[in-house]
Amino acid sequence: MTVWPAIWLTLKLAFVTTAILLAVALPLAWWLTTTRSKVRPVVEAITTLPLVLPPTVLGFYLLILMSPTAPFGALWLSVTGDTLTFSFTGLVIASLVYSLPFAVQPLQTAFASVPRPTMDAARTLGATPRDAFLTIALPLARRGFLTAGVLTFAHTVGEFGVVLMVGGNIPGRTRVISIEIFTAVETLDYATAHLLSLGLLVFSFCVLMLVYVFNRRGGVRVA
Amino acid sequence: MPDRLHFRLKLKRGRLFTLDVEESLPLQGVTAITGPSGSGKTSLLRALAGLDLDVSGERRVSFCNADWDGPGGHLPAHERRIGFVFQDPNLFPHLSVAGNIGYGAKRRQVTSFDAIVDALDLGPLLDRGIEGLSGGEARRVGLARALASNPAVLFLDEPMTGLDSQRKSEFLPYIARAVSQARVPALYVSHASDEIVTLADRVLELGAGHITGWRTAPMRLNAHVVAETSPGVEVRLDGADADGPGASIPLALRALPGEAIGIGLPVESVHFSLHHPGAGSAIMVLPVTVTRPAGARGQAVIDVLGQSVTVPGVVRVPNATTLWMSILRVLPRPMAGDSRT
Repeated sequence: MTVWPAIWLTLKLAFVTTAILLAVALPLAWWLTTTRSKVRPVVEAITTLPLVLPPTVLGFYLLILMSPTAPFGALWLSVTGDTLTFSFTGLVIASLVYSLPFAVQPLQTAFASVPRPTMDAARTLGATPRDAFLTIALPLARRGFLTAGVLTFAHTVGEFGVVLMVGGNIPGRTRVISIEIFTAVETLDYATAHLLSLGLLVFSFCVLMLVYVFNRRGGVRVA
Repeated sequence: MPDRLHFRLKLKRGRLFTLDVEESLPLQGVTAITGPSGSGKTSLLRALAGLDLDVSGERRVSFCNADWDGPGGHLPAHERRIGFVFQDPNLFPHLSVAGNIGYGAKRRQVTSFDAIVDALDLGPLLDRGIEGLSGGEARRVGLARALASNPAVLFLDEPMTGLDSQRKSEFLPYIARAVSQARVPALYVSHASDEIVTLADRVLELGAGHITGWRTAPMRLNAHVVAETSPGVEVRLDGADADGPGASIPLALRALPGEAIGIGLPVESVHFSLHHPGAGSAIMVLPVTVTRPAGARGQAVIDVLGQSVTVPGVVRVPNATTLWMSILRVLPRPMAGDSRT
């Protein structure tokens, strides 16, 4: 039994998810940091929901949403000619929802630590809001960007419940590492289970250490 | 007739504080805005700069007859061309000193970058990051950054807050030099009387979110540099005889021969007497004539060597009385080259 298709699929899923999520989370996190809108708590709660919901709940609703009989799933089917459930695209969509808080929250924290007066200074020096965001807020929040990317990636690599609900267990298509481990244990193939589990453990540890080392090295800036 | 900055603002900030002000300021020289903490000085500057447009309220601001805030909408902060010097320098931590100073300069056409760097003695610091800067250096970079953005008006919001008195006395001449060389009008928020006497041409007073009125402008005598001495310069009061009183006053100030100097006189360090007080600790003793006695507002006008000076209500003597004015302490600053002919 080769484990490589599962590893490859997992990495592909994590990369695609991370890339899309960072692009989505960046404006969302900036909006959450700066807005005075009354709907902000609502948006914040929705963004954080995947953090507290059991993956099965999330997966269940996503499955319903993606099913060819639901409006979204039907629309997808008519546009692409393919169903979302039990497909790689479906996994990506599910991962985007599942990992959203891990991309938004580090960015939001980083943006919140960009001092408002520093942004004001940029404005008085002739920078448009967009210009000030790109040249001041973004560089000052770069560590948050890194943390968000790493955590999103790692979290997507480790997801299990949502994938099982939405993608099932199709080798090479939806069978990611965590499901491969589950399958291996079910079939009493402990050698494979050990190999993959240890791999994930070491990987997760290294990723977290990387994040902490980076955040420590930058230090807390004293104004 | 100088251009004017006219504003009418009614902004509710929090439950307890409302900024409710209307005034028209001449855009010439330095207008000090003073008042106790919490009187709304900073709120006023921020509102004028368009930095608090999300605070709800009523705002009308026009600058040189152009509407900044009016029925037609609000000019965004980045288009107001205000050189804002904040209480905290608010430098950009990810940029070098040069990057900070150049930030505004890059966004507006500026040619005087080098002159500003020289005037503020920042040449040796240009390549450094801002993290190792001392408090005084950081303030100078903040000032240079504002000046280099080619402002139409300078807003200085207590730019010396948090500096110890030694650093303050080092930094004040830089501000004085900057406002005179930049030749742009300045609004200077402060409650430190020495800063106001040194810099201000007029003084607006705020209290609890309202304008309480114009204070008497600081007393100031005009002089010119006649000689450079090793730590400073010697100046002669305009109208003084070459060998008379006020002919050579030593000042610890960097200036060039022939340069116009304004000598601010703190109220408490000026004494009047009917007879010459004789030799003493005064820097100078000058004969003055009362040209308008103290009136209801307690202000008299005196003539000092041909210069007319308004004095807050200390002189209650008849017209044309000759008095002796002893000056114990002076606060000089370079004046804009075009302020006198």
